[in-house]
Amino acid sequence: MSTEITAGEETERGEAVERDRYDAVVIGAGISGIQSALDLGDQGYSVLLVEREPSIGGRMISLSKVFPTLDCASCITTPKMSAVARHPKVTILVNTEVERVADKDGEKEIELLRKPTYVDNRACIGCRLCEYACPVEVPDRFEQGLALTRAIAVPFTNAIPQKAVLDAEHCIFCGACARACPTDAIRYEQEPRRQTIRAGIVVAATGFKLNVGINKPQYQPKNPRNVISPLQMERLLAPHGPYGRVLRPSDGKIPESVAYVLCAGSRDKSIGVPYCSRVCCMYSIKQAMLLSGALPIADITIYYMDIRAFGKGFEEFYQNAKAMGIQFVRGKVARVNDGPNGDLILRVEMTEEDGRVEERQHDLVVLAYGIIPELESPEQVGLRAGSDGFLARPDSTRPAFAGIEGVFTAGCAAGPKDIVDSIIEAGAAASAGSAYLSQCASKTTKS
Amino acid sequence: MEPEKDEEAPKIGVYVCRCGGNISDVVDVERVAKTIAEMEGVAISKVHTFMCSDPGQSMIVEDIKKESLNRVVVASCSPFLHELTFRNAVQRGGLNPYLYDHVNIREQGSWAHKSDPEGATAKAIRLIAAGVEKVKHAEPLERIRLSNHQRALVLGGGAAGMKAALELARRGIPAVIIDKNAELGGHIKEWGKLFPTDEDGQTLAARLRSEVEAEKDIEVIAPAKVTKISGFVGNYDVAFERLGEGGKPGEEAKLTVGAIIVATGFEPYRPAEGEFGYRKTPRVMTMPEFIAWAGSQPNGRLTLDGREVRRVGFLHCVGSRQIEGVHKPQPDGRVNTYCSRVCCSTVLNQAVQVRKRFPSVSVLDFHQDIRSYGRGHEDYYIEASNRGVAFFRYHGDEPPEVATDAEGLVRLRMKDYLTWGEEIEASMDVLVLAVGMTPSPIGDLIDMLKLATGHDRFLQEVHPKLRPVESSVNGVFLAGTAQAPMTLEEALCSAGAAAAKAAALLGSEYVEVDPFVARVDEAKCTGCERCVEECAYSGAIVMVEKETEGGGKVKKAEVNAGLCAGCGACVAVCPTRAIDLRGWSLKEFDSMVDGLVSAAERLAAK
Ligand SMILES: Cc1cc2nc3c(=O)[nH]c(=O)nc-3n(C[C@H](O)[C@H](O)[C@H](O)COP(=O)(O)OP(=O)(O)OC[C@H]3O[C@@H](n4cnc5c(N)ncnc54)[C@H](O)[C@@H]3O)c2cc1C
Ligand SMILES: Cc1cc2nc3c(=O)[nH]c(=O)nc-3n(C[C@H](O)[C@H](O)[C@H](O)COP(=O)(O)OP(=O)(O)OC[C@H]3O[C@@H](n4cnc5c(N)ncnc54)[C@H](O)[C@@H]3O)c2cc1C
Ligand code: SF4
Ligand code: SF4
Repeated sequence: MSTEITAGEETERGEAVERDRYDAVVIGAGISGIQSALDLGDQGYSVLLVEREPSIGGRMISLSKVFPTLDCASCITTPKMSAVARHPKVTILVNTEVERVADKDGEKEIELLRKPTYVDNRACIGCRLCEYACPVEVPDRFEQGLALTRAIAVPFTNAIPQKAVLDAEHCIFCGACARACPTDAIRYEQEPRRQTIRAGIVVAATGFKLNVGINKPQYQPKNPRNVISPLQMERLLAPHGPYGRVLRPSDGKIPESVAYVLCAGSRDKSIGVPYCSRVCCMYSIKQAMLLSGALPIADITIYYMDIRAFGKGFEEFYQNAKAMGIQFVRGKVARVNDGPNGDLILRVEMTEEDGRVEERQHDLVVLAYGIIPELESPEQVGLRAGSDGFLARPDSTRPAFAGIEGVFTAGCAAGPKDIVDSIIEAGAAASAGSAYLSQCASKTTKS
Repeated sequence: MEPEKDEEAPKIGVYVCRCGGNISDVVDVERVAKTIAEMEGVAISKVHTFMCSDPGQSMIVEDIKKESLNRVVVASCSPFLHELTFRNAVQRGGLNPYLYDHVNIREQGSWAHKSDPEGATAKAIRLIAAGVEKVKHAEPLERIRLSNHQRALVLGGGAAGMKAALELARRGIPAVIIDKNAELGGHIKEWGKLFPTDEDGQTLAARLRSEVEAEKDIEVIAPAKVTKISGFVGNYDVAFERLGEGGKPGEEAKLTVGAIIVATGFEPYRPAEGEFGYRKTPRVMTMPEFIAWAGSQPNGRLTLDGREVRRVGFLHCVGSRQIEGVHKPQPDGRVNTYCSRVCCSTVLNQAVQVRKRFPSVSVLDFHQDIRSYGRGHEDYYIEASNRGVAFFRYHGDEPPEVATDAEGLVRLRMKDYLTWGEEIEASMDVLVLAVGMTPSPIGDLIDMLKLATGHDRFLQEVHPKLRPVESSVNGVFLAGTAQAPMTLEEALCSAGAAAAKAAALLGSEYVEVDPFVARVDEAKCTGCERCVEECAYSGAIVMVEKETEGGGKVKKAEVNAGLCAGCGACVAVCPTRAIDLRGWSLKEFDSMVDGLVSAAERLAAK
């Protein structure tokens, strides 16, 4: 059972929210939500930025380098994270999930679930002594399961906030962290609590996930350890990643031949994702380029249907990759089968050559899974979905409008897209939202 | 150099960033920090994984307070990315934000010298030593406050321009739209049913137009032409000419605005004569020509020149994705290497419409890739396939050949890679060239505003991710397809993003700009005017008459801080060294050279 938190109350979590009304509530603190909060705050509106994970930053903070400019993802994200965390008009709540958005007296009412972290944030200084003391190893979610962390840990190096979070599912309640903590911040007795916030507008920037669990038996060999997701590859390629270099997960071998299977979870009606995921062509090309830097002698092959390099600078990026010697094979990968020594054998129909079916061996395979909405049933939280499951955008001349009065949307919540397009949509949502707020204000002063 | 007597002795904090490995994989940052720690005036010298992260910044803030630092140097990535980040951190620590120097050891260090760690490390030490010496002479500076005209000019009243103006006006910020055409709406008026919603472009344009007309805070000046822009952020003076009948110049007028949004859009690519048969036969037409023509024909049968049309072909990527050496260069000598983003979905949309409206017409599609990437776009691809559109794939370096045959039909020859590279020849009644986008011809505006363009000739943003809708000129923002090819939805979003930035700027009565401008030491100025001649920013430095003590008159140079770009051209020509740049003084440069030399000596001695 959870108890209700009221505004201004000092909670045992140390994350009191000063007030119960904000001009705007932004749901999701990925790059889209962060940018929306910044753009609203810069115009003088008060913003509550709500994130269900223990850190802000979303998917982008875990990427390596980003196409098409190849800047390092952290270098672009951390300053924006830091700017929003210090913005005088923005309040951030992490470990908090938006459960419902409803209408109340012409405004929005947002129900929040404040999840327990079992740590008092006022006391925690982020020293990580608890993490070092904890005897329980758990897969590190930030590292996409490629490394281990502890059952109590600060989420990652550049996380904001730098506060420990205890994973109650794995914790054995041995008390080691409580003994190690120099500030007595551990609170095993925390409970989930609820809080209700009023706001003039809501910006839903709830982002995406990959359909890693899709039912595509043809891409599921018996030994799938060397079939990885592109987000795992991002971590392998990150300069501060789990191994510090690119190794394949099963045996730590340096890969010599890496394959990318594009459209592996998209453009396929049978799995419910008939649409294009829009970024996989480009991030695969990017990863291939980074791989050929990291593994100069490795062969890298990209199996594709169409290369969708449509954005500013994308086509040039693609042509550079071709010139670098990355192999682009147009062909349908019919199966991914087990090969010797953890290798994989791809059955490919070589549609560009003579249509023959070839078997090709690779020691690491990246499947470009499809992008699906993080929010599984928007209707349940009081938002509206389009026919593809992403948030609705019913008005073509007001693209930021999410189909419910006072609700706007940006980034991957409203369909797959890259970072630049997400950031631009975040600006558009902030703009549409502030225009709405100022219209409301002028109506009330007039009446 | 010794600090001057009345200055507090320097206590400098130096921070060397690993950049998560981007720097430290090449540069030995620990050694760098240790070597720098030995320099005079350096109180602390530390290493951090991500200086720009919150913990990194907090470290600076705390050290300033705890160690009473009075100067800070961060050695990390390009100042373009994070100079401001660290200035703000220094300010939060209680110091003047300009008592800070930023040293770039990533773009100029680890990335440039990947294969030479030793050299990169030595270079980092030298560059930081220069920064340390420079910051010893840094002075506290104040940002310059300028008055702000709280309204915006939007150049171009297409979908993007109208959207930007609407959102500003709804925020209570007046906007003026200037368009060269009498009727606002731009190109979407011309395309009939638009993907991905099948709504009519005219209707959408009319909807936006009526919203604009209803908004009392928007003034539309059209048709009109901007003739002169001068001034600076918060204070742009714009002269324009209303155009009369047939574009004849009419009355001239002026207005002053605080910010400008450039939304001048695009023009469809115009194929050269003979390019894929264009202009050789009326049966080869561009996509805009086809849409206009097909749109004017009644449903059912399609005829051209009295002959029934049985087959229509669509050729993708005309004027886009060009390859040097394969395609003929454009008049400026460049080829259009970029993808125009909207033409694939436009082809699919038109192909579906042809099959629906003229069921007896068969449709052929010649592409390299089908790029129906956006939300709802793939549905057109699926529908086109279901409706029997035949697809053929060519390679970019083997563009199809187009000729006319004896009957006057269009013949297209290419290698088709959907049938294993087989040579095919197709004949058709109409071949539609899916032309790409080129930027509107706005060379005059680019010159007036000193805007940057990319290799693709579209307007260039400061940084695609950090500042995607800002131009390199303070107070000038970019919206819509003036920046790059976009769909309507994307152009509207970019207009919204530009409006948000402009609203933040125009929300207050004054604007603040960096203090890096020239300053004149009147005692040394002889009034020779060399600086005025050299200055490229008209009005930034001018001669003014001053009274001397004896009652006579002398001419002295004076700087207009709003206009001065801080480029230093005047500093270089002044024969008496009377001009200096704030934040980049000659003394600071001298000391940087000292720093470079002494570090080199220190390294050699080791
Ligand atoms: C492998 C891979 C590589 C990529 N590489 C690139 C690249 O190189 N360049 C590029 O431009 N793009 C790249 N992208 C795309 C890029 O990741 C996205 O464009 C970007 O991350 C989208 O940001 P977002 O804020 O919209 O969504 P997200 O980053 O998903 O953020 C959404 C946030 O909302 C939170 N949230 C969700 N629901 C709730 C709720 N109910 N309550 C509270 N919080 C909630 C989530 O926890 C999350 O933090 C890549 C994508 C992938 C998969
Ligand atoms: C053949 C074709 C079909 C398309 N079909 C679709 C579709 O179905 N769906 C879709 O989403 N998108 C489509 N597009 C893209 C769509 O046309 C653009 O996204 C949209 O027009 C962009 O709007 P804009 O305001 O940026 O530019 P524009 O529409 O080009 O408007 C620019 C405005 O600026 C004015 N202007 C130009 N120069 C000056 C100057 N010097 N001074 C003052 N004013 C100036 C012009 O008069 C015009 O009013 C298509 C594009 C093409 C080429
Ligand atoms: S972006 Fe490329 S790989 Fe991804 S679904 Fe679209 S076409 Fe397939
Ligand atoms: S959108 Fe399609 S037709 Fe247009 S340039 Fe790109 S690939 Fe070619």
